[in-house]
Amino acid sequence: MSLSKEDAVEKARKDLAQRLNVDAGAIKESVEDTDFPDMALGAAEDDEMSGQMITSGWRIRLDANGKNYEYRADKNQVRLYKYKGKNYRI
Amino acid sequence: MNRNNILIHLALAVVLILIAAFAGQLNRWRTQWKSHVRIIPAAEKKRATTSTDIALAESRLKGQAEILVKFKPGVSQAAIDALTSRFNDRVEDRIENAPGWESIDDQDDIDPNLAVAQYLAQPEVEYAEPNYAIELDAVEAALPPIHPSDPRFEDQWALANSGQRGGKQGADISAMHAWLTTTGSDKVVVAVLDSGVDYTHEDLAPNMWKRPASIAPYQDDQLGTIEDEDGFNAIDNAGDPMDENGHGTHCAGIIGAEGGNNVGITGVNWKVRIMPLKFMNAGGFGTTKDAIEAINYVIDRKKAGVNVRIISASWGGTQRSRALQDVIQKAYENDILFVAAAGNSTVNNDRSPHYPSSYPNVLSVAALDRHDQLAKFSNYGVKSVAVAAPGVDILSTWLGNSYEEKSGTSMATPVVSGIAALIVAENPRISVDQLKKRLLASTDPIVALKGKTATGGRVNAAKALQ
Repeated sequence: MSLSKEDAVEKARKDLAQRLNVDAGAIKESVEDTDFPDMALGAAEDDEMSGQMITSGWRIRLDANGKNYEYRADKNQVRLYKYKGKNYRI
Repeated sequence: MNRNNILIHLALAVVLILIAAFAGQLNRWRTQWKSHVRIIPAAEKKRATTSTDIALAESRLKGQAEILVKFKPGVSQAAIDALTSRFNDRVEDRIENAPGWESIDDQDDIDPNLAVAQYLAQPEVEYAEPNYAIELDAVEAALPPIHPSDPRFEDQWALANSGQRGGKQGADISAMHAWLTTTGSDKVVVAVLDSGVDYTHEDLAPNMWKRPASIAPYQDDQLGTIEDEDGFNAIDNAGDPMDENGHGTHCAGIIGAEGGNNVGITGVNWKVRIMPLKFMNAGGFGTTKDAIEAINYVIDRKKAGVNVRIISASWGGTQRSRALQDVIQKAYENDILFVAAAGNSTVNNDRSPHYPSSYPNVLSVAALDRHDQLAKFSNYGVKSVAVAAPGVDILSTWLGNSYEEKSGTSMATPVVSGIAALIVAENPRISVDQLKKRLLASTDPIVALKGKTATGGRVNAAKALQ
């Protein structure tokens, strides 16, 4: 299934709302188109290897409870970048 | 002796003195010529170590301006322009990193030796020499390079950079001259360890590996028997390595899209056998465990009699795995060269290793752009990255009989794997050690790579086959 930018943002908001146990409507967002260094969007999980090809996608910055969180997405995936020091594939 | 006779003898003496002086000058020019002009053999070019040496070596690439002139310090650009204009020449390029050197285009097309003599006679000039093409031996250089019939070949700057789209002429792997020696062999198998390969792609299908009937299906103690007619899928532990992402198909095309078939592009090899291995999913990522399974498969097939000599690995991560390192070592011990992407995070791998490219016995590859500059994203490392190859805006095969341009050390890696396959095609009994050494010893020195990779050079297929 191919994700659109809107799909990816929605998925990210939903994930963060669940993690923080907050209302998704209270989360502020900003999204930018960008290139990531590899096919894990520069956010590989432990024990994950990825194609070393520049990959176009979206950097999704969410703001909740006064803190900033970064998600990275492309048409194939959404990832949470360095959440408490670790990367997660959503 | 009357006054007239004295005058005649004086005139004759002056003429004789002038002739002698002119002959002496000619001799000096000849001496200068012999001492200053060096046709640098490939072996010597490899020893170029300073930025100036490398810049000069680069400037001698085929098809560039005809003479190189070094002006004395303090000579203004206006004076240089006036002098070149007087000789009906033109400054083609100022050689960065080699202060004072100008590359001169002789618009009269006179003998370069005479042009050099003209400049050497000028007080503003410290040194001048012809711009020799030096990469190839004379016989090979005299032959017309091979131009494939593939309609999109003109877009493949990595193979033949004519300056298209503003690139630097000659900043390529000299594929057209390499093909004078060999265009590859269907006896050589390259394993593309990736997201699989679209083995039905019209430009790849003729070059895909098929398990010969004489070799038994793959047997694994844990996985059982796998019908591996088309390769291996380590994700599903199955025999179908169809690519669902495109990345593996792109890498496969760089190594061996069929050449000279009037379709799409050509690979570094016109003929080869691509063994597709799938361990990355539709997203382009996979696990270390599946990578290990796939490498084990390659080793098994090698032992079973498949002439697989290269594993091309356009992937990586920062997590170290002793198990992955060990299986790569095992592949090396089985005469299989493991070529891997250096990574795309603009970091120094000597300080922050990237795996598998930073393991021992792996040939690590950085990426260059069409201007012979290290790609802005490319990792590097004078100890941990061996060579560089074109890796920006690389056109290759994609899913569904299509073609796309992609960038990354992912794209540079199969360029090197492809050259390795050409070497094996020409030297079937070459050992993995010799193969690796041949690749390292045949690079073109590049200023931008000095202190960035172990060789400081861009791979050159033609030299690798000499």
